[in-house]
Amino acid sequence: MSSLYGFLWLVGFLLLGETLVWLFHLPVSPGVVGMLALTLWLMAKGRVSQEIQSASQPLIAILAMLIMPGVVGVFFIVEAFAGQWLIVGMALVLGTLLSVATTLWLMLRFMPKADTDE
Amino acid sequence: MSEGLEALRAVLLETPMLAIFLTLVAYLAGARLFVRLGKPSWCPAVLIAAMLLAATLALTGIDYDDYRAGAGWLMLLLGPATVALAVPLYQQLPRIRELWFPVLYTLPPAAMLAALYSVGLAWLLGATPEVLASLAPKSVTAPIAMGITEQLGGVIPLMMGGLLITGVMTTAFVGLLSRWLGIRDERVLGFVLGVNGHVIGTVRAFEYGPTAGAFASLGMSLTGIFSALFLPLAWRLVGL
Repeated sequence: MSSLYGFLWLVGFLLLGETLVWLFHLPVSPGVVGMLALTLWLMAKGRVSQEIQSASQPLIAILAMLIMPGVVGVFFIVEAFAGQWLIVGMALVLGTLLSVATTLWLMLRFMPKADTDE
Repeated sequence: MSEGLEALRAVLLETPMLAIFLTLVAYLAGARLFVRLGKPSWCPAVLIAAMLLAATLALTGIDYDDYRAGAGWLMLLLGPATVALAVPLYQQLPRIRELWFPVLYTLPPAAMLAALYSVGLAWLLGATPEVLASLAPKSVTAPIAMGITEQLGGVIPLMMGGLLITGVMTTAFVGLLSRWLGIRDERVLGFVLGVNGHVIGTVRAFEYGPTAGAFASLGMSLTGIFSALFLPLAWRLVGL
C-alpha cells in the first residue's frame, strides 16, 4: 500500500507541474517542473518519506522501457528520410563524440579533486 | 498470414494490452540478451530491446501506428517517472551543492555545444531544415525533446531516433574515454552521461553507482530545462 501513496504524490506533483506550465506558459515539460517542485518540497521537509521512496525506485528502474515505444518508431521512418541517413548518422556520431569530450574537459577543469577515492 | 490469425490480431489490438505485452517482452528479453552478451557498452539493453520489438512488429504485420496507440498507455508513466527523479536528486543534494560552481560553469556551454556540434555538422553536410530541427534536441530527455521538436518544426520519430543514437554513442564514448584517460570520478562521469545522453546515459550512470546516477539526473534535468529555453530562441535568431 505504501508505494501507492507514493505514486499518488508523484502524480500529484505531475499535475502541479501541468498547472504551472499552463499558468505561466513555460516552455518546459510538466514532468520536469513537477520534479523540480518535488525536489523543493523534499528540501523543505528535509527527508524523503518511505512512501515516495518505494514508488520512485521501480519507476526510475523502468525509465528505459518507457521510452521504447517512441524509439521503435525510428525503424519505421527509414524510407521517409532515405537521402538523409548518412548525414544524420555522421552528425550524431561525430557531434556526440565532440560534445562528450568537451563536457568531460569542462568538468575536469572546473571540478575540484575528489577527497576520497571512490 | 491466414485469415483467422489476421482476425485474431485485429481483436487483440482492440485494447492496448497487446502493445504493452510486446513492449514488456521485448524489454525483458533485451535486458537478458544484454547480460548474456557481457553488457557491451556500445549496445545498451534498450537498443537490443527496440530492435527486437521492431522485428516483432514487422514479422507479425502490426502497424506501427496501432502499436504506438496502445503503447502510449505505457508512456503515460514517463510523467510520474520524471517526477520520481526528484528523489535521487534530493538525496545527493549535499554533494551537488558543494559542486555548484563547476556544474554552473559546465552546463550552459555543454548543453549548447551538444546541440550545435550535430546541427552544425548536419547543416554543413546539407541536411534539410526539418532534419536539423529533429536533431537539435538530441541530448534532451524524451518528454521535453518532444515539445522542443514540435516547436522547431521537426519530426518526432526522427528525433527519437536521434535521441537513441545519441544515448548509445554517449554511453559508448564515455566508457571509452574514461578508460583511456583513467577517469573514475563518479560525479564527472555521471554528469557527462546525463548532459549528453539523457535517459539512456542516466540509466547507464546508475550502473556506475548512486552518485553517478544523481549527477546524471541533475545533468539531464538541467540540460532539458536549459535547452527548452535556449533552442527555440536560437532557432528564431538564426531564422530557420
